Amino acid sequence: MAGATDISEVIAPDETFASMTDEVSSIILRPHRRIGWWIGFGIGFALTVLLATALAALSAIGIGIWGDNIPVAWGFAIANYIWWTDIATGGALISALFLLTRSEWRTAIHRIAETMMLFATAAGGLMPIFHLGRYWYAYWLFPYTNVMGAWPQFRSPLHWDFVALIAFVASIVLFWYIALIPDLATLRDRASGRIVRVLYGLFALGWQGSSRQWRHFRITYWTFAGLMTAEVVAAHSVVGLDFAAGMTPGWHSTFLPPYFVIGAALTALAFILLLIIPVRWGYPLATMITLRHVDVLAKLLLTSSLFMAYCYWIEAFMPFYGGVPADIWTINASFYGTYSFAYWGKIALNAILPQLLWFRPVRRCEPAVFAIALGVVIGMWLEYFLLIVGSLNRGYMSSRWFIYVPSFWDWATVAGTVGLFVAGLFLFLRFVPTLPMFEMRELIQRYRHKGDAA
Amino acid sequence: MNDGPDPPPGGAGHAFWQSLDELAQSPDFLRRLEQRFPDEYARLAELAASIDRRRFLQLTAATLALSGLAACGPAPIAGLVIPYVDQPEDTVPGKVRLFASALTRDGLATGILARQIMARPINIEGNPDHPASLGASDAIMQATVLDLYDPDRSKWVIDNGEVSSADALVTALVNRMPQLGKTQGEGLRVLTRASSSPTLSAQFAALTRLYPRLRRHHWHGGWRDNLREASRRAFGRVVAAVPKLDKADIILAVDSDLLNEAPGHLAHARAFARRRRELASGGRGNRLYAIESTPTVTGANADHRFVVAAAQMEPVLRALAAHIGIGPREWAGGAAPSWLPAVAADLAQHKGRALVHVGPYQSVSLHLLGHAINAGLGAFGQTLEFLEPPELDTSDEISSLSSLVADMHKGEVDTLLILGGNPAFTAPPDLGFDEALKRVKFSLHLATHVNETTRLCRWHLPRAQELERWSDARAFDGTATIVQPQIEPLYGGWSEHELLAVLGGAVRPQGHDIVQATWQGEAKRRGIADFATFWREAVRAGVVPGTRSPAAPVTLSPNIISEISATGQTDPPALSVLFRPDPWLRDGRYANNGWLQELPRPLTKLTWDNAVLVAPALAKERGLANEDVVAVETEAGRVKGPVWVMPGQAADAVTVLVGFGRRVVGRVGAGTGFDGFPLRSSNTLTEAPLRRLAKTDQKWPLATTQVHQHIHDPLHPGDILRFGTVEELRRNPDMFKGQSPQDSLYPAWPYPRYAWAMAINLSSCIGCASCTMACAAENNIPVVGKDQVLRDREMHWIRVDRYYRGDENAPTETLFQPVPCMHCEDAPCEVVCPVEATMHDHDGLNVMVYNRCVGTRFCSNNCPYKVRRFNWINYTKRDPRLDLAWNPDLTVRARGVMEKCTYCIQRIREAEITADREGRRVRDGEVRTACQAACPTEAIVFGDQNDAHSAVRKRKDSPLDYGMLEGLNTKPRTTYEARITNPNPALAEG
Repeated sequence: MAGATDISEVIAPDETFASMTDEVSSIILRPHRRIGWWIGFGIGFALTVLLATALAALSAIGIGIWGDNIPVAWGFAIANYIWWTDIATGGALISALFLLTRSEWRTAIHRIAETMMLFATAAGGLMPIFHLGRYWYAYWLFPYTNVMGAWPQFRSPLHWDFVALIAFVASIVLFWYIALIPDLATLRDRASGRIVRVLYGLFALGWQGSSRQWRHFRITYWTFAGLMTAEVVAAHSVVGLDFAAGMTPGWHSTFLPPYFVIGAALTALAFILLLIIPVRWGYPLATMITLRHVDVLAKLLLTSSLFMAYCYWIEAFMPFYGGVPADIWTINASFYGTYSFAYWGKIALNAILPQLLWFRPVRRCEPAVFAIALGVVIGMWLEYFLLIVGSLNRGYMSSRWFIYVPSFWDWATVAGTVGLFVAGLFLFLRFVPTLPMFEMRELIQRYRHKGDAA
Repeated sequence: MNDGPDPPPGGAGHAFWQSLDELAQSPDFLRRLEQRFPDEYARLAELAASIDRRRFLQLTAATLALSGLAACGPAPIAGLVIPYVDQPEDTVPGKVRLFASALTRDGLATGILARQIMARPINIEGNPDHPASLGASDAIMQATVLDLYDPDRSKWVIDNGEVSSADALVTALVNRMPQLGKTQGEGLRVLTRASSSPTLSAQFAALTRLYPRLRRHHWHGGWRDNLREASRRAFGRVVAAVPKLDKADIILAVDSDLLNEAPGHLAHARAFARRRRELASGGRGNRLYAIESTPTVTGANADHRFVVAAAQMEPVLRALAAHIGIGPREWAGGAAPSWLPAVAADLAQHKGRALVHVGPYQSVSLHLLGHAINAGLGAFGQTLEFLEPPELDTSDEISSLSSLVADMHKGEVDTLLILGGNPAFTAPPDLGFDEALKRVKFSLHLATHVNETTRLCRWHLPRAQELERWSDARAFDGTATIVQPQIEPLYGGWSEHELLAVLGGAVRPQGHDIVQATWQGEAKRRGIADFATFWREAVRAGVVPGTRSPAAPVTLSPNIISEISATGQTDPPALSVLFRPDPWLRDGRYANNGWLQELPRPLTKLTWDNAVLVAPALAKERGLANEDVVAVETEAGRVKGPVWVMPGQAADAVTVLVGFGRRVVGRVGAGTGFDGFPLRSSNTLTEAPLRRLAKTDQKWPLATTQVHQHIHDPLHPGDILRFGTVEELRRNPDMFKGQSPQDSLYPAWPYPRYAWAMAINLSSCIGCASCTMACAAENNIPVVGKDQVLRDREMHWIRVDRYYRGDENAPTETLFQPVPCMHCEDAPCEVVCPVEATMHDHDGLNVMVYNRCVGTRFCSNNCPYKVRRFNWINYTKRDPRLDLAWNPDLTVRARGVMEKCTYCIQRIREAEITADREGRRVRDGEVRTACQAACPTEAIVFGDQNDAHSAVRKRKDSPLDYGMLEGLNTKPRTTYEARITNPNPALAEG
């Protein structure tokens, strides 16, 4: 194996400071008429309008427009929420964790990963708010002093989740933005128009590139990365606790928090692959996001998938080991019930299909990797759908076993959040440097030293 | 009335009129005015005569000035309105007051206490002093309140499809009277429903004196004709057979409706349950056998329920009789089922303590068999009492109706008063009632709602609802109640007494006076001097003392055996259709009642629709599944309806529930179910040969609140519903002892004051759903509609779960379990609510703070019992009832808010406040939850479990007491007493 120190594949050998910076900044500063961009953004925007319509209908009528019922009081909204926060926390994990391990391949893709987490949080964050019966009182979950003397229930996992989510959103925005500052300064310096220069200048916060600033920057950035790694694990574990702390069969299990973190890594890796493969070809970046990146991510995807498969084994084994009848009904219903398609779907897509990535030719074949990644992303959505709906529709009371049938508005909401994500991503591609230029320069620098030594 | 615009006055030669005055003064116009608005005409004429020009101008000026003033105040109210200066005695705003009255079903009274808040009846409770209620009430009685507040009720007098006035109707009626008097009432007919009103009886007697040729007919659907016919043949006349379940050790129910529909069913159910509870304490208890072709609530509560093919009912009962030693030997032959000898032996061994009850829908010969067996078992005078019938008319309903229709066809009826009911909907189509009714010159329909019959009558008069009028009625045992109005008629309705009084010559009849006159006569007969006291006391108590029917001396016809052999079925059809009224809508009269529409039927758990009940075996054979639309055809007609596969249905009969599919009905009832009445003919009122049962390719969604395909054996989890037999309990008295709650690191929360708790006895619960309805009435539970029930979003706070055991074609047991909130000590809902909207209060109640709820719904997900209900949309706003109908003691819930059973916290608080003010503790029994108050079998007990002497404490100390799913360590406050059955050991071995 080539090993992580071999950076020859991480960037094309003929890339220089100037060529790299030109290529990345020209995407923003000298945009060509890109019909592809407009199509992509158009689709995203149309779906965002659909989301707005769905939320307007929701506000006017109530969450009764969805398919939720008693016993299945949570449906698509919460499945979407976990799925999107999966993507978000996984993205942050990859960005922060692999900064700490100083993996070279991280450099070219972490901006995309962070942007993914930003918009995934936006898409996912809408869900727990709008799924509330009275979402206009969502702020009651926040512990603020008020004349009623009412506080949140600190024992409720939903309150923990609220706190974790707020902390997570705050940190990822800062993490993303801090890493952006030197590049915004580059754009400011290279911009020809005055308005553009002023705008990027404002956001660059007066970055001069002095060694003092670089020193502060590094301390901040690395400290953040360390915090983020812990934060990500904590945040998504808390999402797992939402379920683990409940006594519903299928939820009531301590293994859910790590299960969720592994799920997050898997989903996010698959999602990054879904993003970088088109970006690699849609923009002149193939020399900087190389097959090596695809290969590394595919290996990580395979590793996560093995972890996930282990979780699935535990999930299927424990009810029988524990012997609680309700747990056994629930897992049996997963195997054979109404929603067995979701169970077998997640097994096939998350645990079996990625095994193809053991083979190097598959990992180097972008369409194949793209297809596998797409499968995992869908498989993970099915997993969360099953976790919620499959568990709730088989509770302790067999007299209240009812299935959940999503309505049009449920589907519109899923599609709409995807649209919000896509639209956001295309705006990012247009206005923010897709690759972190300052880090790419470091990479080229290091590559040069290596080349000089050879 | 001629349709279209009025023709211009003055005839053809003078086609134009020059001014409005000319038009207004036309004699034609004035004549019409006088006819249509006699009062207004008189006033107008008087006014016109008294006003000259000067006066007119003065009045005009005054009108203008005053109209300015009028705009300053609230909208004018008709009549004299005076605010309280001195508060009327006893009227405390917000205080509940109880008023006695009675509601009638099939003409017979059940005593009620209407709970009134600020002069509005809010809900109905049974009158403990009334023999048919004993304090209990059933679902239909509860729902009568909603009927009162139904905005779709008839509000106007209708003359030929146009709005008219009561005065016009009275005028028209009075105008006919000289002619009627001349012919002694020839052609004058009155069609009533079943009734037991002494006042009505007296009125008819008086009218018959006035119009000797007046003929009275009655039609109530013809459901009980067989019963009466059998009585006539067995005893020579109609007598009321009243079962004495307190004395019966062994009961054989033959398609019986004893526990949920028969006259006096609330009292029967109570007696039955009392005897049943003896089993747990080692007493003799009782044993119930049921044989039936279509499941009934009574059958569901049997220790042994045997499915018998519809065609086999008679041979089986004959064989049973022969085994007991009644009737000829050859009856015993044929294919007697294996269980029969044991049942016959058990009955025979309990002579004088056994009872056979045959349901009203069975044939005359089956009823005769029932009488013969009862006589043989020595039931007469012991477990069966015969009384003089309380009904006004015990003649055959279908003959009464067919003779009326025949006369209408012949044109012999020119004045027909239809007092309530809907014969155009319920009459068998072969009579041609609709056509005949159109031939009647003067037809008048008195009804609370415009229905199919209204459309065919010339006149319609809004009827005062049962809670709005003075009347009287007798219970199943003859006990009379004076029915007093609970509220002024909301839409100016009339009672039948007032209408009949018009025929008797009264112009402005008052129901109160008419009813009082009857009882004045009665008081005089009894020699009561102080009538005022007698009247006041009778009205207050809701029972007129000393009115129970006298015992009817009966002798069984000596040739009853040959009678049975003669009337017996000769050639039973291969497949039959059984007709049964829907448990809640009955013959369709409650079709516009949202509460009843949405209340799950006890056995099918269907809402908003009826169905064709098909046995699982027959469904398999014909490839039918739930919701498949089938065409059902009999000799009389053909209808289409959805299939419901019914466990325990005989394979040779399908059951069509009638009462749905009303064509002329309000907004609530529109589009619900299908009409099964066209399948009946005048000689097949309860059962008909099935000509064809064909599957169509249509589907009709059915909204059910419990899927019964999951017939899941509750023995295995054991934690939901525990049950056993007397024998098992005797061998192991601790068999139901559950796991004691596991130790907690935290000390238990102390509740030093009260600890409200509930205990539900599963041996007593018969699954009648009274509790669900009473709860809905008390707690402002909205009607959500079929679309929401289809999505499993019904809002009932207490549901009755129904489980089956055994083969689906012949389930060995049907088990019911009412499930309200468990009010767990360690409630799983509370810890997961992020805003603390649900929490424990100082009495240990798990309370729901609606205005703090943000609607995360985690509480419902975390509730193992699934008793929480969510306002997915604004149900309260969608609810069709009048605003008057909401209980002001508790809030209606907003959209997006969770709700659930509160143990009727408003009643608890009221009692606590009263007790605090009087410086004492709340007494046991002072707080009665709505479900508890309604329950006919006393299955639900509520009280303070801190009180060592409380009824609830005693129930909880029973070794049979257990908590549902107590292994989860939620420590529920609502506990259950295990269900004990008393199967025949001889059959258990077999």
